[in-house]
Amino acid sequence: MEILSFLAKFGIYAVMLAILIFALGVVTLRNLFHCALCLAAALIGTAGIYVALQADYLAAVQILLYVGGVITLVIFAIMLTEHLAGKTVRQNNSQSPLAIVGSLGFIILIGTLIVKTPWPVNPVALKAKASVLELGQALMGTYVFPFEIISIVLIAALIGTVVIAKKDPQ
Amino acid sequence: MQDLGASINMIFVTAKAWFLSLLGLFLPDWVIVLASIVVSGVVILCLGPVIMMYLTLLERKLIGRIQNRYGPNRVGIWGLLQPIADGIKMFTKEDIIPANADKIVHLLAPIVTVVPALMIFVVVPFGTQMTAVNLNIGLLYFIAVSSITILPIFMGSWASRNKYSLLGGMRTAAQMISYEIPMTLAVVPAIMMSQSLSTNTIVLSQAGSHGLNWFIFTPWGIVGFIVFFLCATAECNRPPFDLPEAESELVAGFHTEYSGMKFALFYMAEYMNAFTLCALAATLFLGGWQGPFLPSWVWFFGKTFILICVMIWFRGTFPRFRVDHLMAFAWKFLLPLTLINILITALCYFASPLVGWLLSLGILAVSFSILVKLNRTFVPEKRDYLFAD
Amino acid sequence: MTFGMGVLKGMIVTLKNFVTSYFCKRNEGGIFTIQYPEEREKTAENFRNFPFLVHDGSLEKIRCVACGICERECPTKCIHVEMATDAFGKPARKPAVFDIDYGLCMNCGMCEEVCPFDSIFMDHAFEVSAAERQVNLIRHKADLAKPNSYFQKERPTLAAIIDQKRKAADEKKKAATQPATPQEPK
Repeated sequence: MEILSFLAKFGIYAVMLAILIFALGVVTLRNLFHCALCLAAALIGTAGIYVALQADYLAAVQILLYVGGVITLVIFAIMLTEHLAGKTVRQNNSQSPLAIVGSLGFIILIGTLIVKTPWPVNPVALKAKASVLELGQALMGTYVFPFEIISIVLIAALIGTVVIAKKDPQ
Repeated sequence: MQDLGASINMIFVTAKAWFLSLLGLFLPDWVIVLASIVVSGVVILCLGPVIMMYLTLLERKLIGRIQNRYGPNRVGIWGLLQPIADGIKMFTKEDIIPANADKIVHLLAPIVTVVPALMIFVVVPFGTQMTAVNLNIGLLYFIAVSSITILPIFMGSWASRNKYSLLGGMRTAAQMISYEIPMTLAVVPAIMMSQSLSTNTIVLSQAGSHGLNWFIFTPWGIVGFIVFFLCATAECNRPPFDLPEAESELVAGFHTEYSGMKFALFYMAEYMNAFTLCALAATLFLGGWQGPFLPSWVWFFGKTFILICVMIWFRGTFPRFRVDHLMAFAWKFLLPLTLINILITALCYFASPLVGWLLSLGILAVSFSILVKLNRTFVPEKRDYLFAD
Repeated sequence: MTFGMGVLKGMIVTLKNFVTSYFCKRNEGGIFTIQYPEEREKTAENFRNFPFLVHDGSLEKIRCVACGICERECPTKCIHVEMATDAFGKPARKPAVFDIDYGLCMNCGMCEEVCPFDSIFMDHAFEVSAAERQVNLIRHKADLAKPNSYFQKERPTLAAIIDQKRKAADEKKKAATQPATPQEPK
């Protein structure tokens, strides 16, 4: 049976590597549409990681919202913008040396922070059950105020979109 | 006798257990675990295309009979070998890629279409305890996976570098996104009443005295079933919602530039989607595998078969929707109807059956008539022709 | 309730069509297609397809006299006629060569209309597909000449009219060549 857990671990590491490769693809590919597709693949990979961490509801919602919603929006934006068809994006410019120095500094800073932070896992969190029932009860019980505020924000966004997209009466 | 009945009732599970016990004679334990996953996967991978092939034949025969002609009946008795001839044709056709096309995306689009269609088979309950994987979030998994199916349509239409494909792809994507929302909301009452997202539990909660307590015999069930079925027809791009792939409109829309095996994959994805959506409609509202006397999988396949025949009946009867009618129907009619459906589900949950029925029917009648009035299309007034007789 | 009625009525019509396709006969709403190679539709009498020549008994008694009117009238010039010569080199009233190119013929029927000797008529046979255009679609006199009995079977009314006309003409000719009957003294 250790072979199975070894295979499972190997699979999880493979998924993580795939996410990193696709994320690299998002920022380095020339064709904008290919970048959007790599982003979709990276987000599906993230959902795979959630499944491996036994957060199945979160994985399904991640696919539903990100791949089904956000990526669709990104692709609509790419397709409906004129002059973007087939245009390639230049991958390097005259400010690359400065940018490399800045990113390296940023990586060193964040890396030090990550390594130096103690990350204890709250024992309560370890025992938490994340089933749909508990999530629903939490949303309607403990967290009902943020829930309602978010729904108001969403309605405001929808109404605002409709108002902006409406044609002028004249 | 009881044992035989139970094993026939769960025939897929019994067959798999027998096969795995055969393997267990000479293979170590971890291989058995892996093999059980692989066997389920392989069976679904073989079942999907076979179902699709005979679904195409069934469609052609039924449409032929509706149109007063025989369907295909030359290849084999009753045309039963026709799908094999079709398969051979698709395999041996030349694969033409437009010169300017994006080769990688052009190749990937049909593959990415088929994979979600196959993935949905995993949560379909074929019989008593015969779901391939009994997920706790079965229905949410189905909704998430069917929302991935929009992506390859974009890929296919974009990669063809064809204005008309792009237009068809955009229309298809808009249609599928618009009809996903009423479909999801129409499923919510079934979730509310069975208090679980797992398809197996939803079917179990439709047992009654004889397995006849289906959700469709409730007010919210009827509305939910009709809305879900219409949205399912739209999600598969089946007539009357087949504007994106209509031959007379945009020369087959987003799959214009695909030939041979790639087109066969798109075609296969459409029919497998149709099958799984009918299977889910049967599970959620018609009681899945519940029913007296017969084995569970017989009931399940029978109900799915009837729903598929209704989809084919739609194809033979209706002309196509125009694209603005299509979108208006989804957003302005079906979406408010599903929201009201959720309201009456809650009413039926808390009130007694009689009061629940009366209130629901009242609310439905009022809201239905309001929605119809609001959606009335603009009819210009009659003109006066000065010189006509 | 009037909202969904059109939809339901449409579906009932197709359902009725579906059910009657199994039980009704061809003319009463059932399936009206036939299984082609095994069953054939009866063609009407005046259905015209490629031409054929009529002979009265044997190839020697062919009615065609090689006048060439059909050759001249044919819009696509698909007929080729050559008159035979008898032993002395004089033209005999028979065709030596009569070729029709089925590949050019457009089944218009002008040759039938202009023939003064009732010898060329349009046939009913339509299964004349061939693998090569030059070799199998040029029909010669031996293929084209068919007996009068075939003509009577394919086009009974026209054959009856023509037979009657020919019989009357034969009788008149026989009566004209008879010696005059002696008149009775008044």
